Amino acid sequence: MQKATTADSTSLVSKNVRIEGEIEGPENLHVEGYIKGAISISGDIFVGNTGIVDADLEAKNIVIQGEVTGNVTAHKQLEIHPSGKLIGDCIAASIDIKEGAVFEGRSMMMKSAGAAAGKPPAPARLQPQQSQKKRQPK
Amino acid sequence: MPLFGKKKKDEKSQRIQTAVSQNETSYFGKNLMIKGRISGNGNVIILGGLEGEFNLRGRVKIAEPAKIKGEVKADFISVNGSVKGTLSAQQQLHLEKTARIEGQIITPKLSIDEGAAFNGEITMGGNKTKPSEAAADEAAAVPQKPDATKSDSL
Repeated sequence: MQKATTADSTSLVSKNVRIEGEIEGPENLHVEGYIKGAISISGDIFVGNTGIVDADLEAKNIVIQGEVTGNVTAHKQLEIHPSGKLIGDCIAASIDIKEGAVFEGRSMMMKSAGAAAGKPPAPARLQPQQSQKKRQPK
Repeated sequence: MPLFGKKKKDEKSQRIQTAVSQNETSYFGKNLMIKGRISGNGNVIILGGLEGEFNLRGRVKIAEPAKIKGEVKADFISVNGSVKGTLSAQQQLHLEKTARIEGQIITPKLSIDEGAAFNGEITMGGNKTKPSEAAADEAAAVPQKPDATKSDSL
């Protein structure tokens, strides 16, 4: 389907589930429910259409299709889809904001490990690059 | 062969799609650590850590690697992992053979597999030993309140 995910297991917070608190660990997280608090994971965060996140996020790749209120740190890439909404500041190595997306806040680019290793934080199509990037840090 | 590979990929993406669109069962992987409160409707499978509270209408499955400290409250709970704290199942609680429980259990229906470890206290409140599940559902949906008001009015 799309790009490979970072961590080997993906957790899902489904539509009618609500978490208040802190979430961390080397996982991918798919949010269709509601999260309030803080998320700091070393995998990817995917906020789906029905996902509402009222928290600071930190992850490798962050994809927003739902609503996020809080500061966002993406060590690789931040992607906001047309249905996505981000209210808060973002720090990312690469950003991809689609037409129709809402972003209110400040943006700051960081030099990620991936970028430092030679790949410039380049536009959307990361698929072939990513596999290379993945090997380099190890 | 490439065709086959492609097809497989499609199937996989489809499967993920349906899993997402069904949207019923939340899944917390073994590397995920949650501190706080989880609530809402739906089913949950947890393999990771939780410090805090579960409060759910639905089924909770605590799988083997899971470590939970705190309170778990749901309709149906089945445990394979370790729990320190309170397990409160509105309908049914099942401890499987790798379960390690320290604390309190509150449930009207309990089953424990051989090999499960449990240190603590059991409360089997509300003598609802009705055999049919429909009756049990009804009892859970209308918890004793009518009786209380009736006796008040009398």
